[in-house]
Amino acid sequence: MSLPFADLPIYALIVASVAIAILSLLPRDLYKAVIVGGGIEGLALTVLFMRLLTPDVAITQAILASALLPALMFITVYKTSRWES
Amino acid sequence: MGKLTIFNIQTASFLGAISLVLIGLVAILFIDNLIKKVLGMMFLTDGVNLFLVTLGFRLDVPGGPIVPILTQSFYEAQNSSMAAAAGEFAARAGFCLPYALVLTNIVIGAATMAVVLGLTIKMYQKHRSLNSSKVLGEVWKGD
Repeated sequence: MSLPFADLPIYALIVASVAIAILSLLPRDLYKAVIVGGGIEGLALTVLFMRLLTPDVAITQAILASALLPALMFITVYKTSRWES
Repeated sequence: MGKLTIFNIQTASFLGAISLVLIGLVAILFIDNLIKKVLGMMFLTDGVNLFLVTLGFRLDVPGGPIVPILTQSFYEAQNSSMAAAAGEFAARAGFCLPYALVLTNIVIGAATMAVVLGLTIKMYQKHRSLNSSKVLGEVWKGD
């Protein structure tokens, strides 16, 4: 409100989350897809929720969607096949 | 307040949420690999969560938006009566009901994702493949 570019990080985070979601569907290595689409997407959305003034949602997102779900997906990729055929 | 701007943080965030939902739908419908279908499901959930959070975010309020957590120091900083300070808080804080819905939705989404990943492992153990078109072809040919 006082600084002229104070809401520039929010635009950057929105663009980054959409771009990461597109980029995570491209690689054939499923480990890369899980890291980019699960972990980094969850982190970007965590910081975005923090900037949108909802710290409780940000805490839950940081625990579940950026730590627990990539771990579960890692276990799934480890027990199945790594390369997309 | 005075100046009407069409494109602000809220509009951009709505557009981002709609983009995430569309990416999730495309990944669920058009990608054969099951892990990437699960990733698309996660993007769809994240898009709905971002939509609800943006719905509760209040942008143009006098004094700036604040986090909807009422503390003792907020009362002491207002230098007015308790009813006036509560009215000030209600005018500046975000709308809390979508945030509670989003908290529930994240937890339910994590549980759903765990069940879907377990079913993926069982399907791989039975059919030795993660390609959904191939597995569906085998299943339909067997009938």
